[in-house]
Amino acid sequence: MRKRSIATNDPHIQALARIVGERAILYRKEDLMAYDCDGFTVHRHLPKAVVFPTSTEQVAAVVRYCHEHDLPFLARGAGTGLSGGAIPLNGEVVISLTRMKRLLHVDLENRRAVVEPGFVNLKLTNSVAHRGYYYAPDPSSQYCCTIGGNVAENAGGAHCLKYGVTTNHILGLEVVLPNGEVIEIGGNGVPDPPGYDLLGLLTGSEGTLGIVTKITVRLLKNPEAKQTVLAYFDEVEDASQTVSDIISAGIVPAALEMMDQTAIEAVEAAAFPVGHPKDIAALLLIEVDGISAGIDEQIDDILAICRRHHVREVKVAQSEEERARWWANRKTGFGAMGAISPDYLVQDGVIPRSRLPEVLREIANISRKYGLRIANIFHAGDGNLHPLVLFDASKPGETERALAAGSECLKACAAVGGSITGEHGVGIEKKEEMRFIFTDEEILAQTAIRDVFNPKNLLNAGKLFPTPGRCVETKMPSTVK
Amino acid sequence: MLSLTWIEELQEFLHPEQIKRNDSFHPLGNDGAVTVYPQAEEEIAAVLRYADQSGKKVFIAGRGTKRGFGGQREQADILLSLEHYAGIVEHAAADMTVTVKAGTVFGDLQRALAPYRQKVALDPFWPDEATIGGVIAANDSGPKRLGYGSARDSVIGLRIVYPNGTVIRSGGKVVKNVAGYDMNKLFIGAMGTLGVLSEITLKLRPLAKYESVVLLSFPSGDVHDIRSFAVSFLDTMMEPVCFELFNPTLAERLTGRPVYTLAIGFEDVENAVHYQEQWVERLRPKAAEMAVLAGEEAAAFWRTFNTVAPNGRLAQAENGIEAAVKIGVVNLDVLSILRESVLIADRCHVRIEAHGGLGHGLCQAYVHGSEEGVLAAMEELRQAAVRLGGYAIVKHLPFSLRQRIDVWGGKPSYFFLLEGIKRKIDPNKTINDQRFIGGI
Amino acid sequence: MMSTMTNERADSPACATASLGNYRFGDLPDPSKWADCVHCGMCLESCPTYEQTGEEQHSPRGRVHLMKSVGEGKLELTPDLLDPIFTCLDCRACTTACPADVDVGGLIEQVRGQLRQAVPLAGWKALVSDVFLKGIFPHPSRLDWLGRLLKLYQKSGLQTLARKTGMLRMMPDHLAEMEAILPSVGTPVRRKYKHQPLIKAKGETKRTVAILTGCVMDVMFSDINEATIRVLTHNGNDVVIVPNQTCCGALHVHAGDRETGRKLAKQNIEAFQDVDYIIVNAAGCGCMLKEYPELFRNDPEWHEKAERFAAKVEDVSKFLHDTGFKPPKAELNVRLTYHDACHLAHGQGIRKEPRALIESIPGVEMVAMPNADRCCGSAGIYNLTHPEMAQAVLESKMQNVPQDVELISMGNPGCMLQMALGVMKHGRNQKIVHTVQLLDWAYQKEEGKDVRI
Repeated sequence: MRKRSIATNDPHIQALARIVGERAILYRKEDLMAYDCDGFTVHRHLPKAVVFPTSTEQVAAVVRYCHEHDLPFLARGAGTGLSGGAIPLNGEVVISLTRMKRLLHVDLENRRAVVEPGFVNLKLTNSVAHRGYYYAPDPSSQYCCTIGGNVAENAGGAHCLKYGVTTNHILGLEVVLPNGEVIEIGGNGVPDPPGYDLLGLLTGSEGTLGIVTKITVRLLKNPEAKQTVLAYFDEVEDASQTVSDIISAGIVPAALEMMDQTAIEAVEAAAFPVGHPKDIAALLLIEVDGISAGIDEQIDDILAICRRHHVREVKVAQSEEERARWWANRKTGFGAMGAISPDYLVQDGVIPRSRLPEVLREIANISRKYGLRIANIFHAGDGNLHPLVLFDASKPGETERALAAGSECLKACAAVGGSITGEHGVGIEKKEEMRFIFTDEEILAQTAIRDVFNPKNLLNAGKLFPTPGRCVETKMPSTVK
Repeated sequence: MLSLTWIEELQEFLHPEQIKRNDSFHPLGNDGAVTVYPQAEEEIAAVLRYADQSGKKVFIAGRGTKRGFGGQREQADILLSLEHYAGIVEHAAADMTVTVKAGTVFGDLQRALAPYRQKVALDPFWPDEATIGGVIAANDSGPKRLGYGSARDSVIGLRIVYPNGTVIRSGGKVVKNVAGYDMNKLFIGAMGTLGVLSEITLKLRPLAKYESVVLLSFPSGDVHDIRSFAVSFLDTMMEPVCFELFNPTLAERLTGRPVYTLAIGFEDVENAVHYQEQWVERLRPKAAEMAVLAGEEAAAFWRTFNTVAPNGRLAQAENGIEAAVKIGVVNLDVLSILRESVLIADRCHVRIEAHGGLGHGLCQAYVHGSEEGVLAAMEELRQAAVRLGGYAIVKHLPFSLRQRIDVWGGKPSYFFLLEGIKRKIDPNKTINDQRFIGGI
Repeated sequence: MMSTMTNERADSPACATASLGNYRFGDLPDPSKWADCVHCGMCLESCPTYEQTGEEQHSPRGRVHLMKSVGEGKLELTPDLLDPIFTCLDCRACTTACPADVDVGGLIEQVRGQLRQAVPLAGWKALVSDVFLKGIFPHPSRLDWLGRLLKLYQKSGLQTLARKTGMLRMMPDHLAEMEAILPSVGTPVRRKYKHQPLIKAKGETKRTVAILTGCVMDVMFSDINEATIRVLTHNGNDVVIVPNQTCCGALHVHAGDRETGRKLAKQNIEAFQDVDYIIVNAAGCGCMLKEYPELFRNDPEWHEKAERFAAKVEDVSKFLHDTGFKPPKAELNVRLTYHDACHLAHGQGIRKEPRALIESIPGVEMVAMPNADRCCGSAGIYNLTHPEMAQAVLESKMQNVPQDVELISMGNPGCMLQMALGVMKHGRNQKIVHTVQLLDWAYQKEEGKDVRI
């Protein structure tokens, strides 16, 4: 919090500083370098500046300035995105929303809250927990990721199997359009606002259609009862089959997570070990919730299914503390890779649940082919795989090999009728892989929508869609000189 | 009858039996000089391509239950009916997804899934007549939206035939997917103005093992009693799949008693359902009377309920006009709307049957009366909704009256975006021209 | 003053000429520390400075990224790097939050060493640093002298005079505020027990322990040192005060002056070589002592000595807890809350032990403080070097201090001063106490003494 005065002659920096104030802009290389990537570190590029608006008006004024002066710009929350959505590929002005972090309104009777985009996901649940409510989308980064970023990426999480992803919980948005105009969709959160579902379209648009400045979200009441089961398997196939059988038995678990041996090695070597046996092939973390009177029946069914598939050991959490420990171990799984590998690349393919065994086999083949270890931590219940390709960026060529291996994992998902991303977004990382699942015409249909909102393509350009020709990453939007 | 020489051109890609000339027009409008019945996606594409290139207008219909919903034109050149484009494409039971052709009758789909103990988690009106395509295009939902969400929460993939005949896929067959824009959302509730839904992929839910509906009637008529019960019940950890309030007029039709009545639905294992019924019993105001319909009784209750809305396939009411209004407000404001519905019915000398979900904020009001009475009542309902920060749109009204009231209730401030989207996808306004908000 | 640095670089001979990206001075940062960071961002919300600014370069992840960038040759050691690197409170909360156990604090200290050499302090900051960090803290006699001066100031009426005449207004605000909460100075235990190097245990002697008297601690908080001695002896420990001990060097290492840090470390390692237990009542010092090996990464001989030394160090609360302290029998009827000093909770992983000590006292009602392990902004002399940020951090901390308690307990003197400042600024009346003081009072009461809290 040093006192700053603007020590540059750059007129754009000076103008932006006049909008947000001298203490709300960064432009020195030493500061900017902290913004050259987000949770996806393969690509790095310096922004032109970072501004920290504190109001919708300031966001709109910055956007208007950029729009008028053809400066590329993008919005950033906590920068935990895993696909590079907040990387300033084109030397963007980064609009950081971390200072717009107020909880504006809570209305428990109508089960909703209004937050600013920089409000941290978990803080919302913490703010209403004393009354027995929570905000359902729970990405693993929920300790620090912002709800604005969740909207941009349509974030999921471990519990979206039963409760849905971000888009299922957004009731209203205030949005600054790429020309600086401010619109409000859904007003105070009335259902089905007449017109095309722009809430649905904007959610998950990866910051390419507008910048969200106010969000009305749905809150849920805590389930009356919750039970968590941990099951250890000697064969991956048995674990996969257990997943399928649980689902087809008509049980809708709140969460159904799987980790394979390599992943278990990492989480056990990291900060939140649980004491999982090292020699099991896979574990399942299964949570059911709902009415207390019905929950034992579900647990009995689940235990029976696990046993039918040769589970080595299965246990029900005996306390909230134990349950929390299991979840902390799972939720810090990605970061835990740091404990067994200098770098990792996480993929996010989705497959129809029933194809789990064959796709896992294919991923094992890919691992062998590229000589890189691949850990699997994933939301098995919705078929959302997270192969974590472990590599060492300091070894020449290994980054490229890891990227190729990751891409091949996605190809395997696409081949069984799946998707290349379930919750991390396309960003920079998977834009070429969009071709695995969409035709040129389908991609054009999407860019046509972008052009309605973002005709100059100054807002977060170069993301989400494959561009014809190579070296797209370094290509500037057409309007930039 | 005009000479429609171009009709023969349709025969280049349709069998003559798939083409039908219309001599008179439907009083609900949204009709066509000819109706075509494609049976394959390529035929849908061919019709649209032909129309787009030759400047013809196309209206899209399933089986016509929503014919009275929107639309400023009595007829287009072609009415594209998907009635004969029906059937399940793929039911992946283990993955709990189904892909179905748009013209499939909703009830047929549910019946096909039932042996697998699975269902589409939507409860639209007239399920045995409405097609899945129409339900999705009009974004229809019923009381159980509280527990299961609406179309946007169930649809995971679409095949859409664009006005120029191109087939576009959005989403996919997996339950979780953020690749590219969530284009599914754009077409759900778009009233067919952006493309013809061809195939729809939905995620499924298991059929509940047990079901009941608790009917709680409030003879006092005091809305405050209902409110305080609702607030305390919704603050418990019970999980009703619906929490729908009927106004006295509708309650009379459904239960025989003209008093405000709450229908609280539970779907779970039997133990859990009874347990929740006991919670209602414990929290209910002493004056409120409680009845429980279980199993088949509950199902039968919903079957009746699902036919209270006007249906565009049925003959017009003989004595007076029938209209349906959809009102969106913030959850508990549904109480105010239902209360207003009673007062407005009195003031405008019409009959209004209304219901609304206190947990989701949507109300439906079915207005029956003279032309002027119905128009006035709809206007008043809209004003009441707007005062509460909500909206009212007219879901069913004869064509002649749709000229006299803006059924969509004006344009939002961001209308230029809606217009822009329409222009990108359908620059020639080939399909469902003027069917939707602001005349798009 | 930094010229001595370059002369002494020979101290770490192996790396004297090596470089790592743009790190060019001896004692290079350890690249494996940043290699563990996968940029997941789990640390962000744990960071008090990020909470205040929302700026990535003021977050653990951002700082690690910048430090790594220097190592990759993408950034230079320039004056503009001072702000991100030196605004860190070194509170270690990020290390607790990190799924991969990245040692952000250790890395920050290493890089500060580099940066201080590349960008030497100048002007009054250099002067202050020279006077305090080199001229006073390492020299007990000078500190003692300063303490006597301070005592004179407080007792002679000068303090009253200064406060009345408004002389204080001539000082920067934050210094004037600090003046207001200075504890009254007692007699340092080092002076008091100068001729009595061993204080016998009450009853049977179970073991003999040495205490680190600390530098500022012994001057400003000699009563806590006294309490520590009483509590230790009460629990069967003979206490020795080894004569040649000195300042732990934490402030120097935090400031990037690793050379002085090493000098002090060596002196302490030698001073304490004959004892089995080194008991510390200041979390910051204890953490530093345990991390001495970090200072000698390139010096195998001293590294080994430091390892042996570090293994003997324990915080007084954990030591008492682990050696089976006697639960007090007398009641202290008081409502209190507990603040986790960063270098206790995050730095040494000590959370439950001090709470267990407090809760063992009959009549004590413990009220949980939300985010109890959030930094208070004291951070050594941070509240002097970064007053504005320290103030903002304190402000956030105070929001979480329960209103309805009489005492706030903690295990670090720096925090005690800062929290006292917070209490004063918020017009509250809570007293700030050290955990061992509570135990001491209870024991005293048990012995029939009249204890007034």
